[in-house]
Amino acid sequence: MGNGKGSETLGSTDDKHKMTLFKDDRAEDWGAIVVSVLIVAVVIVMTI
Amino acid sequence: MSANTMQGSAGSGAGFFTKLPGALPGLALIVLTMVVIKQWIEPWMGAQELFGVKGWLIKVTHLNYILLCIILGMLYRNVLFRGTIPGFLADGFKLSRLLIKTGIILLGSLYTVQAIVQLGAFAIFLIGGFVILSIVLVLWLGSVFKMDRSMTGVLANALSICGVSASVATAPAVQAKASDVAYAIATILGFGILTMFISPFIGHALGLTDLQYGAWIGTGILNSGQVLAAALAFNPAVEPGSAVSVAEIWNIMRVISIPFAVFAVTVWYWSGKGSEQAGGAKKSLGTLLVEKFPVFVIGFLAMVVLTSFGAFGDAGIKGGPPASETIKMLRLVMQWVFGFGLVGLGAYIDIKELARAGGTPLKIGLIVGITKYVLALIVVLMIKDYLVAI
Repeated sequence: MGNGKGSETLGSTDDKHKMTLFKDDRAEDWGAIVVSVLIVAVVIVMTI
Repeated sequence: MSANTMQGSAGSGAGFFTKLPGALPGLALIVLTMVVIKQWIEPWMGAQELFGVKGWLIKVTHLNYILLCIILGMLYRNVLFRGTIPGFLADGFKLSRLLIKTGIILLGSLYTVQAIVQLGAFAIFLIGGFVILSIVLVLWLGSVFKMDRSMTGVLANALSICGVSASVATAPAVQAKASDVAYAIATILGFGILTMFISPFIGHALGLTDLQYGAWIGTGILNSGQVLAAALAFNPAVEPGSAVSVAEIWNIMRVISIPFAVFAVTVWYWSGKGSEQAGGAKKSLGTLLVEKFPVFVIGFLAMVVLTSFGAFGDAGIKGGPPASETIKMLRLVMQWVFGFGLVGLGAYIDIKELARAGGTPLKIGLIVGITKYVLALIVVLMIKDYLVAI
């Protein structure tokens, strides 16, 4: 349990039981940052 | 929250992008749910006249799109799919935490650095006090009720910081079994669901301001998603000074404290063991900070800095010029992103799993949870003149 890095890994090694599509919560955190950057970029382009 | 009754996912170890196409059906259902709620259900509720009051469902029950998202998510899992999200939809629902974290990062556009420093200083004081109080209370009750030391350690952080995150982060450090974590999570989520639905009523009944309400639930509710839901259920507005903008500062402060609390409970746990046993398992605070620091908080802080420097135009802070078009659109996007995430959060609430909570962990969970919830309200009411508006 919880061997992955990050804030909240339900650390099942079995993909079927994990609560995220990412490897662990640290990866999910980075994913959220990337998605945020994309959203901000799209919004800026749309409102220029 | 159950991880056991979600199916789906490509083969073990497959990367995110390999799994992403398989997540589209579930994501489509989440988006469709939110569209139906926003475009039809919420306007219909606002137009209906009940007991002679137009919009009674919204004005009296305080039902809004946020609570509807969670309720529909729960209905999908527990009624429509009878406890198990089907495999072809499950991966889409696994994106819910990504969406909630994305929304929290974007929420950084509601603040300036000055507001964060003002409110954050207060939040550190309140959160720090409540985290320490909760840990001490659980460790003491654990010894009074003679609860297993690993279970006590997991429950201490589950009830003091951030529910699911803290339980999972603490588990390996205190040699907890999967069942300990499941019990702790079921206990705090069961309590959290109750508080998530009743807090908006209490807040409105007591006439709390957004500032007081945000500070209260940010301190008193245990789970990040539930704090978000309870704040938006009280006031769906996503703008500076709204309940969600206050509650999330509290929440961020609490999430940041995870590595410190894990360290403290680990020290307590191993202090009761022989030094030889402890040698291989203890981790330094530095290691825990590197491993457990929630990186998405950096994204949130980057948004605060960019907003403060005017990267998105005027932020619409009270007393200043109105918000720019970019900021207005970002706030609209946030409402949708949170809505998507909370449909997924609802679908993770498995009523049967919650029934696993019981025995001593539930007793201690309820004692500490209720104490914290009520005490936070009392403290917020006592210090209301000192709370700093943003």
